[in-house]
Parts: sequence; C-alpha cells; structure tokens
Amino acid sequence: MAFLELANLKKSFGATQVVHDFNMQIEKGEFISFLGPSGCGKTTVLRMIAGFEAPSAGRIAIGGKEQNNLKPNKRNIGMVFQAYALFPNMTVHDNVAFGLKVAGEQATEIDQRVKEMLGLIKLDHLADRYPYQLSGGQQQRVALARALAVRPQVLLLDEPLSALDAKIRVSLREEIRAIQQKLGITTVFVTHDQEEALSISDRIVVMNAGRADQIGTPFEIYNTPATRFVASFVGTLNMIEAKVVDPAANRIQIGDQGVTLKQSVAAFKAGDTVSLALRPEAGSLAEGTPSDTKLTGQVVSAHFLGSVIRTRMNVGGNVISFDMFNSPGVTPPAAGETVTLRFMAADLLVIRD
Amino acid sequence: MKTSRLGAWIAIAIGAIYFVLPLIATIEFSLRMRRGAYSFDAYASVFSEAQFRETFGYSMLMALLTIVFGMLLVVPTAYWVRLRLPQIRPIVEFITLLPLVIPAIVIVFGYLRMYNSSSILPLTGSTTGTNILLVLSYMTLSLPYMYRAVDTAMRAIDVRTLTEAAESLGASWTTILFKCIFPNVMSGVLSGAFITLAIVMGEFTMAALLNRPAFGPYLQLVGANRAYEPSALAVIAFSITWLSMGLLQLVSRFHKAAPAKS
Repeated sequence: MAFLELANLKKSFGATQVVHDFNMQIEKGEFISFLGPSGCGKTTVLRMIAGFEAPSAGRIAIGGKEQNNLKPNKRNIGMVFQAYALFPNMTVHDNVAFGLKVAGEQATEIDQRVKEMLGLIKLDHLADRYPYQLSGGQQQRVALARALAVRPQVLLLDEPLSALDAKIRVSLREEIRAIQQKLGITTVFVTHDQEEALSISDRIVVMNAGRADQIGTPFEIYNTPATRFVASFVGTLNMIEAKVVDPAANRIQIGDQGVTLKQSVAAFKAGDTVSLALRPEAGSLAEGTPSDTKLTGQVVSAHFLGSVIRTRMNVGGNVISFDMFNSPGVTPPAAGETVTLRFMAADLLVIRD
Repeated sequence: MKTSRLGAWIAIAIGAIYFVLPLIATIEFSLRMRRGAYSFDAYASVFSEAQFRETFGYSMLMALLTIVFGMLLVVPTAYWVRLRLPQIRPIVEFITLLPLVIPAIVIVFGYLRMYNSSSILPLTGSTTGTNILLVLSYMTLSLPYMYRAVDTAMRAIDVRTLTEAAESLGASWTTILFKCIFPNVMSGVLSGAFITLAIVMGEFTMAALLNRPAFGPYLQLVGANRAYEPSALAVIAFSITWLSMGLLQLVSRFHKAAPAKS
C-alpha cells in the first residue's frame, strides 16, 4: 500500500471545478513534483493534503490513515511556503523551535533538535538573527528547518524557490533534494518550473486544467510526453502536422516527404492528420550523425544563443527548430539555404490531444 | 517658484499663529496666579486637590480597561475578517466608522435607554455596572481609530500564510493569535492604545451623562468655577495628548526601523 494516497480527489470553488478526479499513490521517501502552469490546480491539491482546503470529494490517506476529517494542526505535515512565512517577531532559533514548543517537548530536547536542524541547513551561526536580517535564500532554508524540526510524516513545498534569484534557486533546490534524501522524507513539491521538477524529482505529475495529464519519471515525462500539453509544457518541442499514408506500415507524409515511424499509427485511417513531436536536440545537419530518417527543407532563420545555434527550417509548411552546438569551425546555415535534417525515427513521437 | 514658496510660508505662519497663539496665551495665563510674577501656583493648586487625583486616576484606569478590552475585541475581529471573511470587510469598516458620525450624546442616550435600571440588562443600576457601561462606551468611541491602527498593522504582515505556517506546525487558534499575530501587530495595538488614552482622558459627554467621576467632567467643573486652574488643567490635558502622540510616533518609527518582513 502506498504511503500517501490521493484517491478521486475533486475540488470546486462555487461552480468552478479546479481539480478533477485526481489519483496518485506516493511511496514512502519519494520526491514528487506537481508541475503545471498557474491555475492548473497543483497548489489546490497540495493545500488539500495539508488540510487548508477541504476536498469536495475523494480520499486522502497517509500511512493508511484517512486525513480528510483531521484539522491541519493534527496532520503532522511540514509545509514550506513561497513567501517563507517566518514569524517576524521570533529569532531563527525560536522559529525552528516553534513547532517543538507547541508539541510540548522538553527545553533541552528542543535546543538539541534546533541545533541539529540549523546544522543541517548550515545556518547554525545565525540562530539569534531575526528574519528581516536574513537574505531570501537564508529565510527559505530556515523555513525548511522549521518544517522538518517537528519530524513530519510528509513535507510539502509550495513553490519554495519562486521568490529567489536564479543562482540561489539552483543551489537551494540541490540542497533541498540532498536533505530530502538524507532524511528519507516523503516530499511533494509544487512548481511551474520544468527544469526544477526535472532535476530533483523521483516522479513528476504534469497537471493541466485540474487533471494529471501524465505521471512519470523525469526521463519518461521529457522523452515520451503522453499529451500535446505535456509535450509543449516540458521542454521546447516541435509540433509537426503529418498525413497518414499507410497505417499498417506506420507510413506518414510530412509535406511531400515520406517517413516511417517507430510508433504505431494503426488507430488512424489513411488520409488522417496526425500530430508528431520532435525535440530540437534530436536532429542534426551533420552527415555523420547516427540517423535513420531525413527531412529536407529551407532555412527560415538561424539564431546564435551562445553555446548552441538554434536553426528554424520549413518542411512542407511545418517550421521545425533544431539546435547545433556552437563551434568556431561550423558556419551557421543562411536563411533560404536548403538543408537536410537527420534524426532517429524513434524520436518522432505521435502525440494525442 | 519663489512666490509659491512665500505663499506656503505665509499659510504655515497663519496656521501656526491660529494654533500656537491660544496655546501660548493659555500657558502664560496659567502662570499668572501670583500677582506681579510668573509662578506654578495654579499647577500646585491643581495637583494638591484630591478630586484631581481621584478623577485623573479613575480616567487612567478606565483608559487602561478600554485599551485591554478594546484590543481583545478588535485584534481577533480584524484577524478573522482578514483571514476568513474578507467579503464582510466593508460592513465591518462601516460599523467601526459609526461612532464618528453618530454624536456621543446620541450614543449615550441610547445606552441609557437600553441599559437603565428597569431594562433586561440594568447596567446603570449599580456603580460597577455603570463603570462597565462607561468602558464599553469608550470602546465604541475609540473603535474607528483602534480598528484602523490594527488593520493597517495586519496589512503589513501576511496574516494568512503566517496562520497556515503555524497551523502546519501544530499550533491551536489561541497560540496562533497570541504568539504569532499579536506580537506582529504590536505597533498597531500601541498606536490604537495611545489614541484611546488621549480620547478617554479628555472625554466629557459619556462620563457626565453616566455620572461617573472622570477627568473630563472635572475639567468642566473647574473651568466653570475657577480662574487660573482651568488653564493649568488645559495645559495638562494637552500634555497628555502630546505625550500620547509622541509615543505613537516613536512606536511607528521603531516599527519602521525593524520592518516585519515575512
């Protein structure tokens, strides 16, 4: 049985349903990310787990125990907020000690646990500072220590890195992952940043309009997106419209060029339009590239982005972007030039809407 | 540019003369009790009077009770409105503004009708009951200032997130309110407290009509029967107000020096 179970969760605010039949089984010690754009319902699901929102229907259970009727202060769930939410009137030490004091632990035990937690986030030297004397990154680390101090069953992270600058975000997300793995705590992380989700999660739930479009490992989510939304939201992707020529042989046609897919198109009829996806890094112009498929087209533009050159080419009305590594010996193609893109047919994915 | 600056200075000068001149005249007159020389005789006379000490002490006690019970009413109300009932905020704001538009005499007559000795709740039937009624009426009078001061302080902190953070750490409602919210709106609470102190110390209508020995009615009594002492009392009353305003400034400056970032 899964440690954290979300079964048929629904949530409506008035007439608007923001979460539809959300199902998820999370194992003990797993790091799960809810990834999606603003308003997709990811924070609402998190808040239902925390107890701040009551589900309109469905069941939430932790360790087999139903949580639906428990108040937030009885669930033993640690939560870290985007806005840090440190108590401004308390020092770092007192903030971390707050939950332990509420639980009625002995003063010596509290001191020992606070020291342990501040050591974990490497801020033991700032124990007497007030929140306003700390940087954003330091405040969020204190908030993490405060949430972990009470030994919660589950740790919830509600976009904890969104208010921080880019450099701190990267270092703090790695720190969060390291601490989570060290403590083995079951963690749910909400983010709209795909890079964050891909880099630190065991599994990702891609959410769209209140539904889980796909649940999978970062590798699965990135390489085999299940829906058009997942494909477009996670990473940059070329969407190509093609015509089915021979469903039994998986033959399709892009413009006037024929391609044999690895994925089945048996569900389509000859003449149907099928949506295909191709990652920009999957193709190359170099002749020695390992490939079994080619597409020829005219270069629309070539943009120099530093380490890579992003080239856009037109193939039968479809504009396909692909990246080439920058090298002083390689001249970027000129607009209007005819080029041949080489790639593996397995990288061309059939996408459902 | 120069003409407009001159105009501004003239306006300030006229305003200052309008406000400061009567004050200087009052202070000057309060020092002229002894013939031919300036002295503090009028102040000595005021301070030596038992009635002054009694009424001053009574009003201070009433102010203290008003502040304590006012805060116990206003802070949880403002907190609850911000957290759970933001839709009724305009209604609450309207109610808190009513004491500014309804004259004190109307309010006190209403109280006398509602709580007289033949009513269901005969508060005016005993001294303690009347004192309670006076504190409640002072709470009503100070409501517009207190609510705004506390509400403004609450706006500076993220009440909802702080509450949720405390809840997730296992805190009960009382712990959240007294350990996490109250200390962070203390600047607003103190601002409201000083304004309340200034209002209660100078209030006449409520105390006079409820027949309680407060400082306001005493000021009026002395003013009607003595020559120099009323001026001394007016200066003392002004000083209390100024002290309250000064402390209010001090508190808000202290609050600015240590902003409550969340």
